[in-house]
Amino acid sequence: MDVPATVRTALADRPVEGRRCLEAGAGAGNAAAGLLDAGAADVLAVTNDREHARTVRERVGTDHPGRVGVFEADLRSIPLPDDSVAVVTAHALFNVVPTTDLDVIASEITRVAAPGAHLLVDDYAPLPDGASIRDLFALENAARELADARPALTFYPGGVLRGVFETRGWEFDRRKTLLDPVPWTESHVTAHADTVRDAAARIDGDLRNVLVNRTDSLVTEIGSESVGEMYSLAFQLPE
Amino acid sequence: MQTRTLGATGQRSTVVAFGAIALNWLEQEGANQMVELVREHGINHFDVAPTYGDAELKLGPKLRQYREDIFLGCKTQERSYEAAWKKLERSLDRLGVDTIDLYQVHGLEYEDELETITAEDGALRAFREAQEQGLIDHIGLTSHGNPDLILDAIGEIDDMDSLMFPLNPVVDARDDADHDYDAVLQRADQEDIGTLAIKTFAKGPWPDTDELPEHERPYANWYEPVDDPETIRERLNYTLSRGVTSVLTPGDPKLVKMVLDAGDRFEELDEAAQRAIVEQARHDESPVPEQLHH
Repeated sequence: MDVPATVRTALADRPVEGRRCLEAGAGAGNAAAGLLDAGAADVLAVTNDREHARTVRERVGTDHPGRVGVFEADLRSIPLPDDSVAVVTAHALFNVVPTTDLDVIASEITRVAAPGAHLLVDDYAPLPDGASIRDLFALENAARELADARPALTFYPGGVLRGVFETRGWEFDRRKTLLDPVPWTESHVTAHADTVRDAAARIDGDLRNVLVNRTDSLVTEIGSESVGEMYSLAFQLPE
Repeated sequence: MQTRTLGATGQRSTVVAFGAIALNWLEQEGANQMVELVREHGINHFDVAPTYGDAELKLGPKLRQYREDIFLGCKTQERSYEAAWKKLERSLDRLGVDTIDLYQVHGLEYEDELETITAEDGALRAFREAQEQGLIDHIGLTSHGNPDLILDAIGEIDDMDSLMFPLNPVVDARDDADHDYDAVLQRADQEDIGTLAIKTFAKGPWPDTDELPEHERPYANWYEPVDDPETIRERLNYTLSRGVTSVLTPGDPKLVKMVLDAGDRFEELDEAAQRAIVEQARHDESPVPEQLHH
């Protein structure tokens, strides 16, 4: 599969060749593909989503037989021993991690990372005021809070995630801008709208229809929008 | 409009060059008006070919009127010495001019063609003789073929002054060797070869002719183009920011004005903004429609 420019750019200055890597929160396996392309010895891809696990196996595993291990697991308890990986990527992970889970996931990532390991944290900066897509994300969060009592999306400022890892002993190396603006394409808008509808279906009462109707009109209003920043933070653990 | 140096030629070409194939679809008066429009935008680099229907003939009158102001590129698909000479003479005749500034090997597609044109009785010998006689000034090559073949051609043809090849964010989003025109761009820069981008405004191939017959296509392009001013501007800004000398206008006259306007307003994009456009193209083509992330 093609490696996205975001992943390629984030990995460009990281030593990946010959190392065992962990993709924490493998969505479509984009980082796994980038790591393998950059010469990783092998990649362990952890995701708690069965559909994503299958996608990674199909899209990445078939191109690199024997070099990808997909684990269906929760990042709050990563099924790996201490100090077992040399590179960790959290590519577009933390925006789906609620604040309540942030600490424990950061601790688990730190636990499995070997001394001298490298860490990439790529994510979205909070969207500016006036961004239309924010309204859709707000609906998504509202629907998920009502349905599941947890938000769908949290956009952490880079400085917050930097602090989270520095307090666990990671040395901050650099910050890069991967995308500016971020293209929220029609396929993103559709996918996020579907998430609202799915969550709304689990809500009883009048609010369900309010959320769905508002979502339908927002999809038309937004179409697509390019706004915000995707950043990349790089860290290393002392040897 | 801004200009950039076309490799080692010393020519300063406008960042948008006029693909005169668009004239083929117009009556003579319409063609004249289009050339006037193009000149109003300051365009000084024109490109034409004998295979573009009547484009050479229709370009002729205005070209002769403004000959001194126009850097004229033409090309030939002939691969042999004799045939290339004949085609060059025919183009000079049809255009009604004494010289062509840039004469290009047109549409190199296969390795054996490269062997043929560089052989003793190949087209390039005719090019070089014509150059000695002052009929052409510079030698170039165009290809939408395999990037490796173009790299080979750069290695084989020492006196190549310009290269025309596809460049757009859709192509850049693919990273297999078949789409690695970035390698061509880098190598051309190293060798001080001018670079001319084509297919900058391509959206994708046309639907199958069963679905959309050729005569019902809304544009006279080889491919389905992007056709709104903002996307056109984005594509142009992107491709020029990658560092090519000039971008060719698309083949359909309806789109030429939009590209000229975008050229007037060209703004360099930084790398994060370029990646944003590639990322957008990747999602448009994505095999995983439910993908939420970049």
